[in-house]
Amino acid sequence: MPPTIEGYWNDLRSTKVWRSVFRSGTGTSTLHRALAVQQNVFLHLASVKMRRRSLAFSATWYLGTMSLATFLILTATGILLMLYYHPSVPQAYADMKDLQFVVSAGVFLRNLHRWSAHAMVFLVFAHMFKVFYRGAYRPPREFNWVIGVILLILTLFLSYTGYLLPWDQLAFWAITVGANIMSAVPVMGRKVRFLMLGGNTVNANALLRFYVLHCVILPLVAGLLIAIHFWRIRKDGGLHTGQVETPAGAPNE
Amino acid sequence: MLFGDSARAFGTLGVVLLLLLAIVPARDFFSEWYRYQKGYLRLIRGRDDAITLQRRFEGGIHQTWIPELGVVDRCGSCHVALKEASLRNVGIQPFRPHPPIPHSLDEMGCVMCHRGQGAATTVEEAHRSAKESEDPMVPARYLESSCGQCHMDKPTGIPRLNAGRTLLTRYGCVHCHSIVLPDGVKLAPTDDPPSLQHVADKTTREWIFAWIKNPQAYSGTATMPNFQLKDEDARDISAFLIAQSTMLASSAAPASAAASDAAALQAGASMYGESFCASCHAIQNAAGLLVGGNVGPELTRIGTKAKPDWLRAWIGNPKGYDPETLMPHYRFDDKQLTLIAGFLENKTDSDFMANVKLDQATPRQVAHGKLLVTEMGCAVCHEINGIHRPDNFAPDLTAVGSRPLAKIVFLPEMPRTLAAYVEAKIKEPRSFGSALKMPQFNLATGQVDNLVTALLAQTDRARTLPARLRVAGHASSNYEPAGAAGRLMRDLNCFSCHSINGRGGDMAPDLTWEGSAVQRDWLLKFFKNPNTLRPTLIRRMPKFNVTDQEAGMLTDYILAVYQTPAFDRDSPQPASDASQIEKGRQLFYSKYACQACHIVDPQKDKGYIGPTLTEVGSRLTAAWIFQWLKGPQTLRPGTLEPDQQISDSDATSLTTFLMAQKGHAKTQEAKHK
Amino acid sequence: MSDQKPFQAAIESDSRKAPVRIAFVTRRTSPQVKAESDQYVMTWPEGIFRVLVVCEVLAIILVTMSLFWDAPLEGLADPMQTPNPAKAPWYFLGLQELLHYFPPVVGGVLIPTLVVLALVIIPYFNVNVEAEGLWLRNRGKRLRIFAAVVLALIVFLIVFEVWAVLAPTVLIAAAMLFAAREANNAGRFRRWLILRPLSFWIMTWFLASASLLTGIGTFFRGPGWSWVWPWKE
Repeated sequence: MPPTIEGYWNDLRSTKVWRSVFRSGTGTSTLHRALAVQQNVFLHLASVKMRRRSLAFSATWYLGTMSLATFLILTATGILLMLYYHPSVPQAYADMKDLQFVVSAGVFLRNLHRWSAHAMVFLVFAHMFKVFYRGAYRPPREFNWVIGVILLILTLFLSYTGYLLPWDQLAFWAITVGANIMSAVPVMGRKVRFLMLGGNTVNANALLRFYVLHCVILPLVAGLLIAIHFWRIRKDGGLHTGQVETPAGAPNE
Repeated sequence: MLFGDSARAFGTLGVVLLLLLAIVPARDFFSEWYRYQKGYLRLIRGRDDAITLQRRFEGGIHQTWIPELGVVDRCGSCHVALKEASLRNVGIQPFRPHPPIPHSLDEMGCVMCHRGQGAATTVEEAHRSAKESEDPMVPARYLESSCGQCHMDKPTGIPRLNAGRTLLTRYGCVHCHSIVLPDGVKLAPTDDPPSLQHVADKTTREWIFAWIKNPQAYSGTATMPNFQLKDEDARDISAFLIAQSTMLASSAAPASAAASDAAALQAGASMYGESFCASCHAIQNAAGLLVGGNVGPELTRIGTKAKPDWLRAWIGNPKGYDPETLMPHYRFDDKQLTLIAGFLENKTDSDFMANVKLDQATPRQVAHGKLLVTEMGCAVCHEINGIHRPDNFAPDLTAVGSRPLAKIVFLPEMPRTLAAYVEAKIKEPRSFGSALKMPQFNLATGQVDNLVTALLAQTDRARTLPARLRVAGHASSNYEPAGAAGRLMRDLNCFSCHSINGRGGDMAPDLTWEGSAVQRDWLLKFFKNPNTLRPTLIRRMPKFNVTDQEAGMLTDYILAVYQTPAFDRDSPQPASDASQIEKGRQLFYSKYACQACHIVDPQKDKGYIGPTLTEVGSRLTAAWIFQWLKGPQTLRPGTLEPDQQISDSDATSLTTFLMAQKGHAKTQEAKHK
Repeated sequence: MSDQKPFQAAIESDSRKAPVRIAFVTRRTSPQVKAESDQYVMTWPEGIFRVLVVCEVLAIILVTMSLFWDAPLEGLADPMQTPNPAKAPWYFLGLQELLHYFPPVVGGVLIPTLVVLALVIIPYFNVNVEAEGLWLRNRGKRLRIFAAVVLALIVFLIVFEVWAVLAPTVLIAAAMLFAAREANNAGRFRRWLILRPLSFWIMTWFLASASLLTGIGTFFRGPGWSWVWPWKE
């Protein structure tokens, strides 16, 4: 048998090193495939089998998957961006200029982070509407829906806090407008804004606060909730297969 | 089957993704600075000094980082040859070396002077950033503005900035606009707009009407701008100005009949010349050229403007009308006064007010005139009865050089740069709206450029620079001489021309250490009959007609008070034996060649640069001459006299020689006898 | 056919394995039991590879965008200089557009809070779990309630001059009436509309309004939040 890519692949998979890493073995039996999921820390949140119908593109449009993908891209690019960034005024803006002019691939990194952020907000919204129209929010998945709503709000907050970090006019005034909306909350609006900005106006304190929220607190919370969200998909009976339930008493044609 | 398809798709897409990611770092090789550095290496390849240049060249991004100044300049990434003087003849940018300047490039960076965005590494972003908050580069003709961020002194080499700052004060810009220099000194106006509280004593309503309609028609050098008034407005303003004027007793002195015959005019003209009025005032000659100084107003048409009574009273004692005037109090007797006043009254121009016909002013016109005068801010410059001087009448221009473009309303068709805006504002202020108050100034193009240069120096950066970089201007002193002599000096307005202890004008020599320099007899005689010391000078000390008692008092005061602490004026004089004098003469003529600039023997010396020394022995003290020879710059900084490192013994000989030069004085004394 | 029994009964025999079940098949229904038609596949590799492919496609799109389209960066933040208009990030522009119509307490606080609350409680809101078509039962009564609610909403929107929400409201209401009309020979689209439950209509109304508001806020608002045409500079 002539050597094929698949042949090399299988050789690789039977090496000692590979086997020490992936304990599921090389076989293609159902058991091995089940183990591949079960024994993997990243995959074990999923069940080992899934309904074929739930894999169809029309079932989910893979919006949740893509939301997760943007989250991962954002984490990767975000960590790299943190290497070049000082959350201080006006150095933050100078760092943007450095990214633009002297850091290799700095512009690309920032572009990818920004466009992925916009994509994530859009995808999460789309995911929510898709889930709704599929009826996938109905019991027993109601709690997962609530977690999803919280994740939507977290996504918005992540994007909003990140918006300030370049410390340019766009950032400053977008955050100012947002913070002013917040101060309209009756009774405690101004206090909430003060707490959020660390002052009465958007200033260096707000920048630091937003930085910590954006890079530490919100991603951690979001990561945790994403894990629960995925776990609950499995526990609530897998992906909703999505047939619109035929209402009782509907006339057959 | 599904597995096969998905896995293949996964592999293919993975390769595509990796390829795309591989493009990302490749983009650096398409950057502009990389291309320019390649170009530079190609440029130097064929040259003789290619090896040296190549060794000094370093690839990659070049950066000048000066945290203290907030400078992060990467200009050197493309301008790689800034320090390669041998490439001076290379005309191609960005490879030209920087022309020599008094500062090191590493010490200042680039954007300190050129502005622009130093952090950028693309041509467009660095030179012409279109972002509203970012500074583009300053056009070369205004480049001196950047010097003004540190230099409040007026060093030579930046004439535009210096002239611009002078214009800001001379044309009274700073009456309305507050301008604080980066060192915190507020610019003070140096023009002296007259008080209008007694204007009716001085002139007529018709003249005021014609003047405010177009000041430059009366005098081309008038600094008062043109407010482009409508006829009715000028009529009402002149009505109000006459109405508010109160009469001064001193102006009412009756004139003796002004002589106007040709002989009297001739005599008046020579009085005008003898009194050196032309040092400060100009008059148009027959060819239409202005002859005279620009300290005081032009007098070509003074007879049209000034009422005869007032003119006579004014020349008699200017401080009676305006205590702050720079004009000295000449002690003219009645006859002299009549002659000179008669000469000036004859300087008329019937055309100037030919078309001015004004009816009797109505109360409504006066009231409207007052409203206009208040609104237009006449009282910012002129004192006017019943109107308070408004504060902050026009926008503060302290930071105008950093004004964000977003806050500027440009005219259509106008380049969207700060410099173009400031230029247009000065050139044609009313083009931004006819309701604007800023008047039309009569400025030449060069003057506008100078003003723009001075204004662009008012940057935000200038105020945050470390104090050590700042070169302060000469602090203005409010020195006042004391006692009766001080009163006399004020009356004669010595400070209008001379400077003492840091206060005063620069038209005549600094007198701070005059007491150490001159001999008593000479000074006494000089007051009675001043003549110039330098043959080439036009401006001369006027004859003030002081009494003997006044001259004595002034001489004593100067000799006692204005002495340098460096040496004693009365230190013993070296013995004046003939051999010393002869040795000094030889030193004077051969070793030090002083005759190149000075005249000792009027028959053969041709030095016209320094003062004539024919009678220096009766003018200066020996101690002063000795010290002067040893170090002229220490006695009078900035003097042209070179420091020739003269030894003590040579200086002594020269002093002896010079102290022997009393010839002219002797002959005068002989004449007296 | 009176001899026919009203229903048939069967008893499963294997009672040791499973509890005894009795199935009652009423008249006019089919005895066919809905079969468990779901086929299962292994998550590895089928599911995982599909997910990975989707992720790669997304990454390729985003990387390509990032290569050729630079993220905006304006001038240094300057508190003294307000751009006109000052706009929030795009996903808040719908909210900002609402603020243009309503006082801040309503547009900025009340409405978003209500929306979030509504989203959270939807699954617990136990009415109509079967997602039955809105007009299939109690049509008359529902039409009256519908008319009252929609009229009140339209009057409210007109009073506040919220044209951007009024338009989708009217459109959706028209579509609902179209679905409510009695017709025997309905086309496929009509039939599909008839089967929509109330929650569908509300969510669609929300989606349409939010999209329109966001679109207007993003593209059609200029200095002083005045209306501008994006294609006219």
